[in-house]
Amino acid sequence: MKYMILVYGSQPDYDSMAGPATSAEELNAIGEFLAEFTGELAASGELLDTQGLATPVLARRVRLRDGVPVVTDGPFAETEEVIAGYWIVDCVSFDRATELAVRLNKAPGRIADAGVVIRPVMGADYDTD
Amino acid sequence: MGNDSFEDLVRRLAPQVLGALVRRYGRFDAAEDAVQEALLVAMRQWREHGVPEHPHAWLLRVASRKLIDLLRAEQARRRREDVAASRELPSEWNSPSDDADDTLILLTLCCHPSLTPSSQIALTLRAVGGLTTAEIARSFLTSEASMVRRISRAKRTIEDSGVPFRMPSETERPQRIDAVLRVLYLIFTEGYSATSGPQLHRACLAEEAIRLAEITAVLLPEDGEVAGLLALMLLTDARAPARLNEHGELVPLHEQDRRLWKAESIRRGVDLITRALPRGEVGQYQLQAAIAAIHDEAPSSEATDWRQIVALYRLLRKVSPSPVVELNHAVAVAMADGPTAGLALLDALDDPRLARDRRLHAARAHLLELAGEPDTARAAYLRAAELATNIHHVRYLNARAHSLGKDTT
Repeated sequence: MKYMILVYGSQPDYDSMAGPATSAEELNAIGEFLAEFTGELAASGELLDTQGLATPVLARRVRLRDGVPVVTDGPFAETEEVIAGYWIVDCVSFDRATELAVRLNKAPGRIADAGVVIRPVMGADYDTD
Repeated sequence: MGNDSFEDLVRRLAPQVLGALVRRYGRFDAAEDAVQEALLVAMRQWREHGVPEHPHAWLLRVASRKLIDLLRAEQARRRREDVAASRELPSEWNSPSDDADDTLILLTLCCHPSLTPSSQIALTLRAVGGLTTAEIARSFLTSEASMVRRISRAKRTIEDSGVPFRMPSETERPQRIDAVLRVLYLIFTEGYSATSGPQLHRACLAEEAIRLAEITAVLLPEDGEVAGLLALMLLTDARAPARLNEHGELVPLHEQDRRLWKAESIRRGVDLITRALPRGEVGQYQLQAAIAAIHDEAPSSEATDWRQIVALYRLLRKVSPSPVVELNHAVAVAMADGPTAGLALLDALDDPRLARDRRLHAARAHLLELAGEPDTARAAYLRAAELATNIHHVRYLNARAHSLGKDTT
């Protein structure tokens, strides 16, 4: 079964990571935790894809208003928690995916109020290419 | 390459065995699968029982059997006459003198222009590099299953395009070799630029790219660009130990502890490029390697021969123009003739590809700082930080901005 595991963060979370509010050691600890987590998933063959997403101010929202595309730059409210990264995994059960999400909750650094969300992937033949 | 491990040996023999098999059976697609299976068997058996007396012949025999099995299964599926099975098992048909040509043909095949860059990379690493699909998948943080699909699709594309297994014609050859060099350089930068994630595996990619470039340099000893590419990789990789500090933060070239650089890589790189440059037409890899060599041989940023670097960037602008080359040229001019001259060049760059590129703003910021304009420098650093997507870059740029004064916002 395929699942998408989502982690969240707000603009202040990103800003904190980008500046002196987070020390190099703290950032390094987060990096190492994630590298180990992802490395094990890759080694076990469960990992299909993973990406971290850049700061929300770089986001764009595109909508049609009366048939005309309207583009809004950096469209999120300051404290809104948005998707900060994801893992797509292929694992034996929802329980296993839950286990992974539990582990992510123990990552160093602030864990978003949204927690870690698991979404089963629709259909059976997801292709990462 | 004298006392390499059996894994190195297996991987070195991989393209030779594959070449011999394709020559014999003409089925690149199936032959590549067969060699991959034979490599896995060899890795397992040689680890337990040691390397056989004739490893090349051993691999060839196992791979041939696998191929015949594969072709048989295919024949059975198609319910046709079992032609492949009636073929004799090869014994001594392969003459070692073909090996070099075969490896080069394989390289041009794997880097065929009909394939996407990601397919070229995957296929080259497997068919020529002798890496297993699992290893390649791990390097690119994807599943083995999707890497298998990517490689099969690539091979099907090659089969469908009907490219024969032979050296590209004289007229085609330069372009095909160019494509090979581009793929090898992509593999290298993929490994080198990784600053997060499981770094170990990515570092292996840079190493593997250097190994493949070394093989290519042996196959094409007269080609200045091949030597240039290998030199460029060695001279860039030489700085890797000083590129990140103990917290994993990026250290810019002018602040790196040059005592950490790999002296042996620098020596080899400088030697290669010094011998390649006078030989004839100078291409982009030789020029980039020459620039890297000047940096690597300078005792400090201040003592760097910036005039020479400016001259080389001028040539590079002609040979291989790109916005990034323009940017680097402007920075070199600033180092040689002062920040104002460099800033003038940067201001004249109105390439839309650069406007939202952090590198332009970071370079401007740096030169403004040198010119003694901390306020505009700070704004440029902040703008560059806004546009950067790599957390290490963002932090570096913000820290520079911070060091130039208090936030007014």
